[in-house]
Amino acid sequence: MHVVIINGSPRVQKYSNTEKIIAAFGKGLSEKGSTFETYAISNRKTWDIIRAAYIKNDEILIALPLYVECVPGLLLEFLETLPPKDERTRISFLLQSGFAEGCQLRCGEAFLEKLPEYLGVRYGGCLVKGDNFGIRIVDEKTQAQLTKPYQAMGRLFAEGEGFFREEAKKFTGPEYFPLPARLLIGLIHRTLGKKMFQKVAASWGCNTPLDEKVWETSNV
Amino acid sequence: MEELLRGGGNAAGFELIDTTGMNISHCVGCNCCWLKTPGVCAIQDDYEPILRKMNRADQVWLISDTRFGFVSWQTKNIVDRIMPLVTMYLKVKDGQMRHVMRYDHQPDIGIIYTGDGDQAYLERWCQRTALNLGSRSLGVFSERDKKEAVVCMLS
Repeated sequence: MHVVIINGSPRVQKYSNTEKIIAAFGKGLSEKGSTFETYAISNRKTWDIIRAAYIKNDEILIALPLYVECVPGLLLEFLETLPPKDERTRISFLLQSGFAEGCQLRCGEAFLEKLPEYLGVRYGGCLVKGDNFGIRIVDEKTQAQLTKPYQAMGRLFAEGEGFFREEAKKFTGPEYFPLPARLLIGLIHRTLGKKMFQKVAASWGCNTPLDEKVWETSNV
Repeated sequence: MEELLRGGGNAAGFELIDTTGMNISHCVGCNCCWLKTPGVCAIQDDYEPILRKMNRADQVWLISDTRFGFVSWQTKNIVDRIMPLVTMYLKVKDGQMRHVMRYDHQPDIGIIYTGDGDQAYLERWCQRTALNLGSRSLGVFSERDKKEAVVCMLS
């Protein structure tokens, strides 16, 4: 199988969590003898090339981050530039998010389920997985650990059944966290979580409180 | 819309912002508004004055053309860039993780669309979007039913 993988994230490739997920996924594809070519829509100058690859190939995978419950605006804009194709082409999706629970991604997934019909092509399923915000802020070794599970999904995808298999559905993890976990997560984020994020911000050169009401304090 | 709102002695104050021709970028997901310059977007274009108005409003109505049954990419860009109103901090609310809002006041959100919108999906998306802001959805109306939307604005 040969797959065209399009990174639908607006973030520059260097810092893109989706890009790192694609790298792990691609390893899995290769292990099963599949080949792939990757593109990223964050650089508009490459849109003509990406579109040409979309037109020429019939196995397309769009990997994307969830932006406000759906597809990022930039990806919507790119999708509008695609010419209609027919059912010989299959589009599958890899939808990832910062929020960890499966329920957070279902609204985005529902849009992606219907999208192939608008484009005239077949739907190959959607791999749904949250809890990826941290990829960007950890070191390379931890990044590799965090993205490694996607390698198994690459191997699964290479078997040709898109993301319809049970293993792909299970990959999402819990739909909601059970109550004891929610209580614990809530407590952590009221205390240690805030300190951790403030520490990350300090490493970005920020020393103001992350919840600063900036427009109220600046009187404008 | 303007005629409907101005007519009939309606009490609601409103401001119509026409973003046609404005320079409004998409969100680039840099996370600066959360972690580098909290509450301030790194992109300097025509968007910030709009966001300030949205932040103060009681209601925000997105009037949008539709594509793929959904709002246009121009409208989605405007929504994607509300992130400065949200902080990096997290909490659990109604059983799900949510970001802690930056300001105490949150606008409710409604949609009026033209074209072939997927009504059920737009309603679902509007509700989820409002959930992220800690506010509520005012509903989704086709341009054909805009009079109903006005009733909703005033109620």
